[in-house]
Amino acid sequence: MPYRIGIDVGGTFTDFILIRRDGTLGLGKTPTTLEDQSLGVMRGLEEMARAEGRDLGGLLADTEIVVHGTTTADNTMIEMNGAVTGLLTSEGHRDEIDIRRGFKENIWDPAYPPPTPIAPRRRRFGVPERLDFRGQVVRPLDEDAVRAAVGRLKRQGVESIAVCLLFSFVNPAHERRVAEICREEYPEARLSVSHEIMPTAPEFERTSTTLVDAYVGPRLETYLANLESALRGAGYGRDLLIMQSNGGIMTAGFMARKAVAALGSGPTGGVMGACAVSRDAGFEDFISIDMGGTSYEACLVKGGRPTIRSFWNWQHRYLVGLPMVEMHSIGAGGGSIASVEAGALKVGPQSAKADPGPICYGRGGSEPTVTDANWVLGYINPESLCGGEFKLSGDGVREAITRRVGEPLGLDLVEAAHGIFRIVNANMANAIRRVSCESGYDPRDFNMVVYGGNGPVHAGKQAEELGIGRYLVPKTSPAFSALGLVIADYVVDIQRSYITPSGRAEADRVNTLLGEMETQALDDLRVAGLGAGDIDFRRYLAICYPGQTFDLAVPARVTSDGRLGEAELRATVEAFHDLHEETHTYAARDEEPILRAVRVQAVGRTPKPPLELADGASGSLEDALRARRPAWFDGGYVDTPVYDGDRVSAGQRIEGPAIVEERFTTIVLYPGHRAQIDARGNYHVTVEA
Amino acid sequence: MSLDPVTAEVIRGAMETVAYEMATHVSLTATTPILNQSNERNATILDGRGRLAALSVGIPQFMLSSTLPVRFALEFFAEEGLNAGDVLVANDPYHGGGHLPDYNVFAPVVVDGELVLIASIQCHHADTGGGMPGGYNAEAIDIWAEGVRFPAVKIYDRGVERRDVLYMMQTNNRTPSFIGDIRAQIGAAQLGARRLGELVKQYRVDGIRNAVDHAIDYAARRFREEVAAWPDGAYEATTFVDHDPVGNQDIRVHVKVTVDGDRLEVDYTGSDDRQDLKAYSSFGNTRGYVIAQLASMMDPAIPKNEGFFDSVDLVVPEGCVLNPQVGKTVAAGTHHPGVEVGEALCMALAKVLPERSSPQIYKLGMPTVIFGQQPETGEVFVDHSVDVLAAYCSAVAGEDGWGSMPSSFGNLIRATAEVNESIFPVRHEGCDYATDTGGAGQWRGCPGSRVVKRVLVPASVTTYMVGMKYPMLGIAGGRNGSPNQLTTCVGTERAQRIEVMANGVPHAAGEAFEYVYGGGAGWGDPLERDPERVLEDVLDELVSLGAAEREYGVVLTGQGDGLQVDWEATKRLREERA
Repeated sequence: MPYRIGIDVGGTFTDFILIRRDGTLGLGKTPTTLEDQSLGVMRGLEEMARAEGRDLGGLLADTEIVVHGTTTADNTMIEMNGAVTGLLTSEGHRDEIDIRRGFKENIWDPAYPPPTPIAPRRRRFGVPERLDFRGQVVRPLDEDAVRAAVGRLKRQGVESIAVCLLFSFVNPAHERRVAEICREEYPEARLSVSHEIMPTAPEFERTSTTLVDAYVGPRLETYLANLESALRGAGYGRDLLIMQSNGGIMTAGFMARKAVAALGSGPTGGVMGACAVSRDAGFEDFISIDMGGTSYEACLVKGGRPTIRSFWNWQHRYLVGLPMVEMHSIGAGGGSIASVEAGALKVGPQSAKADPGPICYGRGGSEPTVTDANWVLGYINPESLCGGEFKLSGDGVREAITRRVGEPLGLDLVEAAHGIFRIVNANMANAIRRVSCESGYDPRDFNMVVYGGNGPVHAGKQAEELGIGRYLVPKTSPAFSALGLVIADYVVDIQRSYITPSGRAEADRVNTLLGEMETQALDDLRVAGLGAGDIDFRRYLAICYPGQTFDLAVPARVTSDGRLGEAELRATVEAFHDLHEETHTYAARDEEPILRAVRVQAVGRTPKPPLELADGASGSLEDALRARRPAWFDGGYVDTPVYDGDRVSAGQRIEGPAIVEERFTTIVLYPGHRAQIDARGNYHVTVEA
Repeated sequence: MSLDPVTAEVIRGAMETVAYEMATHVSLTATTPILNQSNERNATILDGRGRLAALSVGIPQFMLSSTLPVRFALEFFAEEGLNAGDVLVANDPYHGGGHLPDYNVFAPVVVDGELVLIASIQCHHADTGGGMPGGYNAEAIDIWAEGVRFPAVKIYDRGVERRDVLYMMQTNNRTPSFIGDIRAQIGAAQLGARRLGELVKQYRVDGIRNAVDHAIDYAARRFREEVAAWPDGAYEATTFVDHDPVGNQDIRVHVKVTVDGDRLEVDYTGSDDRQDLKAYSSFGNTRGYVIAQLASMMDPAIPKNEGFFDSVDLVVPEGCVLNPQVGKTVAAGTHHPGVEVGEALCMALAKVLPERSSPQIYKLGMPTVIFGQQPETGEVFVDHSVDVLAAYCSAVAGEDGWGSMPSSFGNLIRATAEVNESIFPVRHEGCDYATDTGGAGQWRGCPGSRVVKRVLVPASVTTYMVGMKYPMLGIAGGRNGSPNQLTTCVGTERAQRIEVMANGVPHAAGEAFEYVYGGGAGWGDPLERDPERVLEDVLDELVSLGAAEREYGVVLTGQGDGLQVDWEATKRLREERA
């Protein structure tokens, strides 16, 4: 089985990466087809096959794995055009989804609008029933009331029903019965049942997550079914695999049932790729940075694993309580628009996007952007990008920056362009500071892994501002997220609430929960063809101090059979104090921590193909010198060498100031920065303190 | 020396980030839910003269009691000065603070003997000593009965902890977690001072000073531009608190707002000056509600710094309920008449700026506190009822009231049934929106919640009720929101509608209270509301069929999910009403 293929659908381009048996890589790019992403995917695959000298059927028959990062779920939430959705919940709790635990995104603006409701109130019904926190029935389920409510949903043309009853994660009996009644009364509707989607407290988070699943589910299901059948029709005989928000892959069939886990599917691939290249490069603590045309995404990775967030995680104005790789996004990219508002220079979050794009794209853009500033400063090629395929034009760039930024601030052209460059860098550096302080870390203790079209232009300045000494730009930066897809493992995350003061926690109960969750994970992974021998279990206890809202996932101390005795339980609670001290500066060892939940992460290992090693230095760096041009460093234009990324080779070292032009990105090395090229062609940049 | 505007903007952004880091540090390290969950904390950065340069806010109304105490400290320590490594604490309402439970901890940034900046973090604490736990003592005769006062006290002197002072603070507080939370604040202030020190090193003292001047000038300019666009004139309004916690009626707040070109004067002369009330808002508190209301009526992007706050000419006569003589109790008054300060200002400006007007207030006298004993351990539990509920969220021009509370309180995160029932022997039976509680209007107020909490063990219920006689007020012809309504021991023979205070009303195991929270008010004439929206509200059971006709003049035909607007009948009815 020679081929492994990764496909990452972005807003503008769909990226492909193909790993051959010998570890060599093929890259491809095709425009994204927004109406039906599968069209672009199939077209791109045909192009990849042609490039390999194969027909599509032959290529796919020889393909061991196709992994896909899809934006379908995110797009559905951005456009809010998902299924007609209804909600059945416990009586009295019909409006918690609208009340949002009191949260509003903008505390300064009373006119800030509410989110579009997934299920408006007329499609939300409270049904008479109630369990207590131990799962005991306080009030029996009124089945007639459930039937009546389902009837009303049916009459309203609901396509998808979310069911979320209180304490269903302790005792799912009522929820199961409601689901059965839905199937009896209205078999056409898709069902999302909260104890299957997210079996944890509290109800607002679970309701919101289940509603998002119900809302995006039908569309994702249809899309994946179309794509899978197109792939099968073309000769692919294996499962289509999908990147989940938790950084692991699962089968398309699994994702169709847990659609909410496909949020953030695309960008997550990049973080997983960054984890792989950094491991290779010998460091584990880093911040991954993806700067494209519109947005800037950062993720903090500690110990080789990305920060996973499952608490208070707002996605598209809905709260999603499943573990997700924590991406922080700000509106900063090459297309970010610079403007002066009442005497202050602002850059972003508005973006010129791909169309019309920056002024220098020559497609009718008239507002100065970050890319235009970089053009003035000499950081990007003045004539073309993408190896000459994409022509640039300076018409109007200088005038626009002068008129819209320079004159209002009393700055000349270059000062204004440099001002734009500084503000966007400051915005990104501040974003990183916020990310790291939220996790309790100092960015100076981290490296950076930088990718995306615009990341390597700005990374050096950010590193300087944050006091970061070293960063890495992967050679595969343009299709980096696609690479991350191919090398990711299968991951199933399961969590169960078990809320009790830790002193009263019973090891037996924890073990029972672990056993149930591990059995379920094995079942899920068996579908993907994995056996018990391919699977690692990571077990965690979620613990907090009394009164705290945030809990910490503490790796459980277990015996060789993966279970806890009383001693292991106590040791895990003790480890919580240590972890709390590390991330929150103190430990309250005289307090009795509260156990909140038991968590299992099942990781199904995929074979990791050895990636190609580039040849050693074949010539001198001089051979790679493409041109020299003036670029702005330290307050003046400096005649700067520009190297051809296709011709620099392993082992070479480039001293800043210098510019390296890769096909789809540009690396700017600032004075005092030095890049060392490794055997895979990656750039390791060190920053002089 | 002048500073280029780009560097000024870079420094401003960096300072806001430091403020955010300080606030986040407290959220991560504090153990009290008020801090780590409800976000009642404000981080501020001030310059050497005590002017606010940057902040990160939890709740806007309380952001200002973080700056005036620092100014008092600068005066008090004027001769000996503040030193690098000092950390101070302050909480006194009569030295710039809001009320006693709000502790302000701050650290100076001193470079080469010069005070350049001050990092300050203010947090609400669960207790503050005094006659009653929690600092809300309705029976308190004066401020000393409310708690311990700290005007400005060094708790670190040149980097050395003053153990004696911290220990004294600890011994004067009931809650064991108090000193841990103070330490969380100390850590945040020290973190802020350290990060600001790095900024000073990078941009030098002059650079920082110029950047602060620039940011303050910028905010002042933006503020004045907004005011200049308002019509000149003097606008007055009077609002009332139903009563103080002991039943003194109709506490009056009067304001006269004068717009003169780009100048804005806000004058509370004529407000209640009775001296025997239990309802006084300290000057710092009064100022906070003024600023928070104004902030909601301007471009949300204007930086909230001294330039913003200082642009208001605020007149509050000494001795009135909004600027009391030293010694008066202020705990209850923080909220009422504090709230009515913002309400009166909003109602005065609503006459000329209705499209900007939405009161950023609440009519909750105090949280509804449930005391009892845990059935298993016998330990006392206190449920402060910071529950999921909706209340007091009025409409604005172009948008119905939505969610939980007005936007100012969007950081106040509420406890859920599933977590609280696992901690307290109290069942949350519901918090659904109550039909017809949102004030009618072209834009409808958000309905209030009907909250039912059932105690599973014998317990007592304590709260102070307002917002019954004086509910949320409609804007531009919109109708008022519904009044608050609390019934203790609901459905039993001892059921009782609370008029002023529930003073530890006993509930037997299995008994419940029902609190129907007041709805937000409407905006604009209800007869102007799009009938399709009224239909949607009826389908959503937020408005009843009867109210659709009565309040909105909209006639619906059909039944159930098949309801439709009867356009002809609606037109006729609306014409009759007009």
